[in-house]
Amino acid sequence: MSLMTTKRTPKPVSTSRPLSPLAAELTRLLGPQKVLSSRAERLNYGYDAILVGKTPLCVVLPESTADVVAAVRAARAAGVPIVGRGAASGLSGGAAPLEESLVIAFTRMTRLEIFAAQREARAQAGVITLAISDAARPHGLVYPPDPASFRTSTIGGNLAENAGGPMCFKYGVTGDYVKALEFVDADGEVHHLTRGAFDLAGLLIGSEGTLGLITEATLRLSTPPRFTRTLMSHFAEVGQAAQAVSEAIAAGAVPSKLEFMDRACVGAVEDYLQIGLPREAEAVLLVDTDGEDLATVEEELALVEAACLHHGGKVRRAASDADSAALWRARRSISPSLGRIRPQRMNEDIVVPRSSLAEVVREIKALGEASGLRLVQFGHIGDGNLHPNILFDPRRESSEKVHELAHQVAQVAIRHGGVLSGEHGIGAMKRGFMAEAVDPVTISALWSVKHALDPQGRLNPGKILPDEIRSDEIRSDEISLDEISLDARP
Amino acid sequence: MNHDIPVGQLGAQGEIMAHAIDACVHCGFCLPACPTYALLGDEMDSPRGRIFLMKEVLEGELPLFDAAPHLDRCLGCMGCVTACPSGVPYGELITSFRGWSEPQRERSAFDKAKRAAILKILPAPKLFSVAARIGQYAKPLAPLLPSALRSPLDLLPEHVPAMQNLPRFTPAQGERRARVAFLEGCAQQALAPNFNAATLRVLAHNGVEVVIPGGQGCCGAAALHTGARGEALKLARANLKAFNPDDYDAILSNAGGCGAGLREYPEVLRGLPEEQAAQALSAKVMDISTFLAHLSEDGGLEPFEPTSRPLSVAYHDACHLAHAQGIRAQPRALLRLIPGVTVLEVPEGDLCCGSAGTYNLEQPDLASQLGARKAGNVLSTKPDLVASGNIGCHTQLQSHLRRQGSKVPVHHTIEILDLAYRGEL
Repeated sequence: MSLMTTKRTPKPVSTSRPLSPLAAELTRLLGPQKVLSSRAERLNYGYDAILVGKTPLCVVLPESTADVVAAVRAARAAGVPIVGRGAASGLSGGAAPLEESLVIAFTRMTRLEIFAAQREARAQAGVITLAISDAARPHGLVYPPDPASFRTSTIGGNLAENAGGPMCFKYGVTGDYVKALEFVDADGEVHHLTRGAFDLAGLLIGSEGTLGLITEATLRLSTPPRFTRTLMSHFAEVGQAAQAVSEAIAAGAVPSKLEFMDRACVGAVEDYLQIGLPREAEAVLLVDTDGEDLATVEEELALVEAACLHHGGKVRRAASDADSAALWRARRSISPSLGRIRPQRMNEDIVVPRSSLAEVVREIKALGEASGLRLVQFGHIGDGNLHPNILFDPRRESSEKVHELAHQVAQVAIRHGGVLSGEHGIGAMKRGFMAEAVDPVTISALWSVKHALDPQGRLNPGKILPDEIRSDEIRSDEISLDEISLDARP
Repeated sequence: MNHDIPVGQLGAQGEIMAHAIDACVHCGFCLPACPTYALLGDEMDSPRGRIFLMKEVLEGELPLFDAAPHLDRCLGCMGCVTACPSGVPYGELITSFRGWSEPQRERSAFDKAKRAAILKILPAPKLFSVAARIGQYAKPLAPLLPSALRSPLDLLPEHVPAMQNLPRFTPAQGERRARVAFLEGCAQQALAPNFNAATLRVLAHNGVEVVIPGGQGCCGAAALHTGARGEALKLARANLKAFNPDDYDAILSNAGGCGAGLREYPEVLRGLPEEQAAQALSAKVMDISTFLAHLSEDGGLEPFEPTSRPLSVAYHDACHLAHAQGIRAQPRALLRLIPGVTVLEVPEGDLCCGSAGTYNLEQPDLASQLGARKAGNVLSTKPDLVASGNIGCHTQLQSHLRRQGSKVPVHHTIEILDLAYRGEL
């Protein structure tokens, strides 16, 4: 698999002349190879992996921070909103413009340096996530965060959404590996941030391009564990799997990955890969334990195994590294495999306390069954991060019903003391639920930050924050849940 | 992906296209598998971007002219099909789309003449052989020529071998284990006649009776993949007549591209009277490596002579074996049967070498960058030999390895098996 552009290739020049004053200005500043303005080109920059938004007015493919600065200043002068974009593999609509915008796509900013002695990587925003580990491995180092799309996704996108992945149960999410950031603000000023007080880098992480555009990051690398063991267990009922998870962790196991998928997910991914997953199971757990000491790694795996057996699970240990790799590839393929069941989906990213897991998965399953829609569940169950997905065919099933079910699922999370997003970001997809999930005082504080950094509201408008309303007016039933139509016509 | 394609107006090919577009969830998992995305880094030159563009064109929202440059850059390597969890049949989509859109294309006279010449010469081995010989003498003039003419010359071997006439019937040696029909292929008869000769020897040695049916011709893949659907249909129909699947245990090809081409017949002929015949033929088609791997598992192959010294063989996955037909393990397993052979994995092995049928001739710049990248990756394994299972890859690898100053021999997998039987490795 190719993970990065190894050398500069002569880029094809946009076929037509600039089609808007902004495109003309950007072409003058940056040259025609970095600016896309024909409709065929722009059409391809209006979507991410879940949402088809508005076709942008113009697209810039910067090759340096200076290019980003020029693009931001030109857009500001023209009064055009700016949306940052990596590989557009995100699942919250974060990179899909909701207004006619300038899209700044970072896929050509791929400079990557490894500083082995400092255990650091310096990566431009367009570096592909997995490329960091690939480059670090010869030095005996890795970059642990592993979103399922890590072959596709860019580090800039991961930072913007604060992406997680199976590894984050033990090793933390993207933001935990950031030592320093470079970002371009709404005025086109370049800032260099570190993690000292105030932790302004932390403010940018997960801000989805609404506060500034991250152009480069210095990331912490770590040594890979010497030993890893993998186990798969399957259950006749979803709640049993959740109970096994709670029991294993309570017994002291700290798996590096602890993943859950229900029957429909297993079926879809087995259709793709045909590796002999147990299609008949109602729930499957996939678990890695790892560490420096083989005895401890085995002991932790044994704790998980005992908990699974105790709750009626059947257990299979991976026989080899290849076996384990195949199982994890299956796990990474779940989300897009669901396209085999229905063409469209509304995905959630809730996080609930581990103690409520069994109840939550059962409640959500029951809601799905009662709705008459297809609802499936999978996720990073070790840290309570679940991805209930509603699968539907927009030509046959009503999007109101889909939104209603999505809302009910979100309410289950909130009722159990959970939150809406663990790793995908709020983006456009879950913005409608924010007013229920976050108290008015906090929302108003978030708006203050937004106003301070982006007074004109030009950075990725319509994302994360619900419409500003005075706190005394807030009533949850006033928030419209279908502000965005899924996969809307561009 | 949501769409408003007027499927009813587009017929059977429209259904194929609409089904593929339906299945895409625009997740982007295909991006890192796409050679042009790796080179160009823009969404229009990725599979996801192309699916979106085709959708817009089919809906009538985007002029074909605007989408064409990006669609033309697609190699048709199917790397994205392997990477796609939601099961988008991208190959069927781009092939149907090219067939549907070609009659609407406005091409320059030069472009038209070039395409006509390619599609005339490529499927006609005798003509190809003559052209290749002329080209061989013109090779020294290559630097003076425009790139459209230079690229085919660059690919010619230093020495174009004489064509060999193959026997219509080759009896099995010893007890007969199977009876197969064999597709000779086109370019390889002119450029690498030993592929077929070695194939017949290895099959006969293993008790397989081989028939080369008369009336067979080019599989039509080159025509089909460049949008010349009428020509492709003609060739497919000729082969349906030539190969009666009931007469053979299998219909074998030793070129990844041609085998995949035969297996595409059911889609090509969808909704036409020959659809069922196409399915019957396609079900019997097998690559030589798959067939031999079956024999190996079911009773074993004749033992190979050990090599005279330990040999490291870099195995190159041809896209139309690995991505289009899922054939990866079989050729490797066969090579490993030879005592003394170690099989090496090529970094970025999933990425096309840039040959891709007529791509070399139509997009020489991108093809050449991919060829150089592939040669570099192959050489990084420090192989004694290079093996591949497709004539296009073979010439591309040879040409780019030589350009990088390497003399490492490039063989078809079957040639290496043949050499091992002869004790010449």
